[in-house]
Amino acid sequence: MEQSLLSLRLKQEVIESGNCTRCGLCVGMCPYIKTLNERIAFIHDCGREDGNCYRICPRTPSDWPELDRQVFGQEREDHILGHYQEVLYARSLDKNIAQGGQYGGVVSSLASYLIDSGESQAAILTKSEDYGPPKPFIARTREEVLSCAGSNYSASPTLSILNDGLRQGLDNLVAVGRPCQILAIRKMQGLTEVPEHNLSARKVNFSIGLFCFWSLETEVYAFLKVKTGEREIKKVDIQVKYAVVTTEEGEVQIPVDEFRDFIRPTCHHCFDPTAEFADVSVGSTEYDPEWNTLIIRSPKGQEVVEKARAAGLLETKPYPTERLPLLRNAVLNKKRRVLDGVANDKGYEYWGLSPAYSKGIEEGGEER
Amino acid sequence: MSFLSLQSNEPGRSVLMTGNEAITRGAIEAGLSYAASYPGSPTSEILANLGRLAKEYNLYAEWSVNEKIAIEEAAAASFAGLRSLCIVKQNGLNVALDSLVSIAISGVKAGMVLVVGDDPGAHSSTNEEDSRLLCKVVHIPIFEPSTPEEAKQMTIAAYELSEKFRLPVTLRCVTRISHASGNVTIGEVQNVNKVAAFAKEDRFVTHIAYHQMQEVKLAKIRQIADTLPFNTYTGPEEAKIIIIASGPSALYAGEAVSTLGLENEVGVLKLGITWPLPEKFLLKYMKQAEKVIFVEEIEPFNEDNVMALAAQHIMEIYPIQFYGQKSGHVAGPKGPGLGEMDPDIVKQSLARVLGIENKVTVVRSSLNLEMPDTPGREMAFCAGCPHRASFWAMKSAVALDGRNGVVLGDIGCYSLALMRTGWSLPKTMHAMGSSAGIANGLGKLERFGFKQPVIAVVGDSTFFHSTIPALVNARYTSATFLLVVLDNETTAMTGHQPHPGMSNNAMGEIVEGIHIEDVVKGLNLPVVIQDPYDIKGSTEAVYRLLQTEGTKVLVLRRACALVAAKASTRPRVYVNQGLCIGDDCGCNRFCSATFTCPATIWDLQKGKAMIDEVVCNRCQVCVSLCPQGAIQVEGGTDFDC
Repeated sequence: MEQSLLSLRLKQEVIESGNCTRCGLCVGMCPYIKTLNERIAFIHDCGREDGNCYRICPRTPSDWPELDRQVFGQEREDHILGHYQEVLYARSLDKNIAQGGQYGGVVSSLASYLIDSGESQAAILTKSEDYGPPKPFIARTREEVLSCAGSNYSASPTLSILNDGLRQGLDNLVAVGRPCQILAIRKMQGLTEVPEHNLSARKVNFSIGLFCFWSLETEVYAFLKVKTGEREIKKVDIQVKYAVVTTEEGEVQIPVDEFRDFIRPTCHHCFDPTAEFADVSVGSTEYDPEWNTLIIRSPKGQEVVEKARAAGLLETKPYPTERLPLLRNAVLNKKRRVLDGVANDKGYEYWGLSPAYSKGIEEGGEER
Repeated sequence: MSFLSLQSNEPGRSVLMTGNEAITRGAIEAGLSYAASYPGSPTSEILANLGRLAKEYNLYAEWSVNEKIAIEEAAAASFAGLRSLCIVKQNGLNVALDSLVSIAISGVKAGMVLVVGDDPGAHSSTNEEDSRLLCKVVHIPIFEPSTPEEAKQMTIAAYELSEKFRLPVTLRCVTRISHASGNVTIGEVQNVNKVAAFAKEDRFVTHIAYHQMQEVKLAKIRQIADTLPFNTYTGPEEAKIIIIASGPSALYAGEAVSTLGLENEVGVLKLGITWPLPEKFLLKYMKQAEKVIFVEEIEPFNEDNVMALAAQHIMEIYPIQFYGQKSGHVAGPKGPGLGEMDPDIVKQSLARVLGIENKVTVVRSSLNLEMPDTPGREMAFCAGCPHRASFWAMKSAVALDGRNGVVLGDIGCYSLALMRTGWSLPKTMHAMGSSAGIANGLGKLERFGFKQPVIAVVGDSTFFHSTIPALVNARYTSATFLLVVLDNETTAMTGHQPHPGMSNNAMGEIVEGIHIEDVVKGLNLPVVIQDPYDIKGSTEAVYRLLQTEGTKVLVLRRACALVAAKASTRPRVYVNQGLCIGDDCGCNRFCSATFTCPATIWDLQKGKAMIDEVVCNRCQVCVSLCPQGAIQVEGGTDFDC
């Protein structure tokens, strides 16, 4: 890897080119990069030749086989869903959580279990007020976790406050994030031969990845306000054909096509919609709104889900056999679109995927 | 000490005074009643001193909102029969010029003196400007003192001349007269009229007919100029080489002549009145001279006028050769007409003209041996200056906004932002209030495809001085821009003089200050007030306001750190040496090298940051910016960083 002026390369290749996923990890780490209203900018050239910012960025080259070994101890067999132990339907047994959560409330349930049980001190989440752009939030109690429940579809740079947590002396944090954010955390955790002091991701002891096929530009909030006639928005659920916006005065349906223009261009370059490096990944079932899809990936993920189940906080059931191919297909198609984009030279590079991994995707992965 | 001497009632006593103090004393001795000024180096101290002496000498002294008002007020007092004084710097004369031109046409009644401080070399200015050229346009006489003593005498003489010809008279000072000290002899305070009345028969108006009157007045003064004691000649009566100089340059010329041992060959003709010229006096010495060398500061004003006079009398004085800025012979290191004069430059110039060796002067080097150089200091915002925080917030907001926002600079301490200390953020800088005027223009270019957000930056004193009309215009024409008022609650750059937003005046009286936000609200424009030390909040405020249409104002309010530090009981700020990890951090010495607060320094031995507690004003802004949280406050921060 070219070592010269990595900070400048981050600025040019990622931030100014529009490739930035707004994961936020470099922001909290560096006094030269700032975020506001879901925007990220270099305030001033730091002048350094070297930079962890470039190394940890989810949009700079990543060594995927090495990341697999780092997180799971071995390279993957499944090139579509990545490493996993189990794919399940899951939902919270806590009524408060199930009501406030987007679907089955699995994320809130697991995060609050980890805090309540003392396994983690706090969770890195987003919190939205008046359904505007959500803000990064460090939740230290179950109540605070619940106050963050519900999905946002914009790209909140949540990880920007990970370093605040570090400065506040917090340890053993739960990170809830989009796949790009989990990737950034893993890249930072895997850094070697650099000073350890600001590797805040090493304070993350559990990561919950969110399914994410794209995120939306911040301008979508203004769009939603117009569409709902400035009513107070309680919840937004973007389903297959319609987005259902729940306001105080009922639901408004907006065709999904109307959201296409708000999809962030960098999301078209993403080939990890299910957060393959998380301990567990959580998404919708696209079928039953009472349940979540839960992918248990790491042994730690397995352990935490077991404990939450044993504590009566979570219930699971097998993933319907007929639905699994639909999930796999959706992921495969997304990955293929990215690879096709590279082949057709759509102006972006594929980030460090090994030939075996590329081949795995091209050939449709290995069914299990 | 000097201030006490201004109050001296011991005529004949010789005391040490600066030029500014000498002018103050001269005005008092001349029976001054009314003084008005807007502060600006090098002449700020005159009105400040008059304010302190106001009660004792039954006079009124005012820091006016701007120089145009100041000169109009001085004229008003003169119309009503009171001796008056207006004090400005060169840029201030530009502001006052429109009115001054007319006041010179209408004429005045009681003596009215205009002190203009020019700043050759622009020590404390944005430009080098020679106010004499403007005074010539205005048709008023110009005195140029060479010493503080002369500054006092000329002030008194200027009142007499002004009253005699009913014309304002200019006393042109330069920095080295205003700020240098010399012995001044105290004189009696004159017993002149102190009762104000606008006489029934008086009228002060402008009309083309008065132009002729002005020319007549100048012609008469031209004759009187020859008799004034301020024009002197030193040297052999039959000198073939003469130096014509004015102001401190006349002293430099004398020193250069004696250092080069040319006392028997070169004469120095000092002009005390440089407009209109003492023509007979000049012609007398030019008739015998073969070489004339001009030494003066900034423009070739005397050079042009004297050469024009010579051309008119060429048959009487031929043969003669002129040397100066125009011939290139009289030039400092930057070139002719640039920067200040000094004895060395005059010596070199003289040697150049005469084709002789410039003997090395040794006086300076022996001084250097005894006095080590003071450490070099970057032109930068003071430690704890709220402007540094404000500019970092604006820089952050502009970067986050991402539309290539344009920041427009203005005149004040914050002009320093053009340099590294303000990350060179401002893209324009002109005159007082110009940022708002330029923003008015840029803010309406959307119809021509202009998409960049615009921020005009002014200080609190500049807001009152000349920004309000621009704001009225912006409201009237629906210009889209953000006006940021850096409100440090004083006129900081010129020495913390009061302004209309403050609750005191030049004479130390308590007054009701005007709130900037009230002015803005009165125009029905949105206004937000924010503490610049809260960089996050300020960044958000700037960003948010940039997303809106129309004109809006953000007041970033924090007292000037130098004022605040005097009364501060804020806790000590220090670098926790355990938390600062030096160059391992990756911040590339953000606190000392990027944020560049003079109080944040780098300990080369330890390779870590440290706070210079002698310099630190304890603002705590760096505390909120250190990525390691290593800069800490004893007992915790006293506001949310």
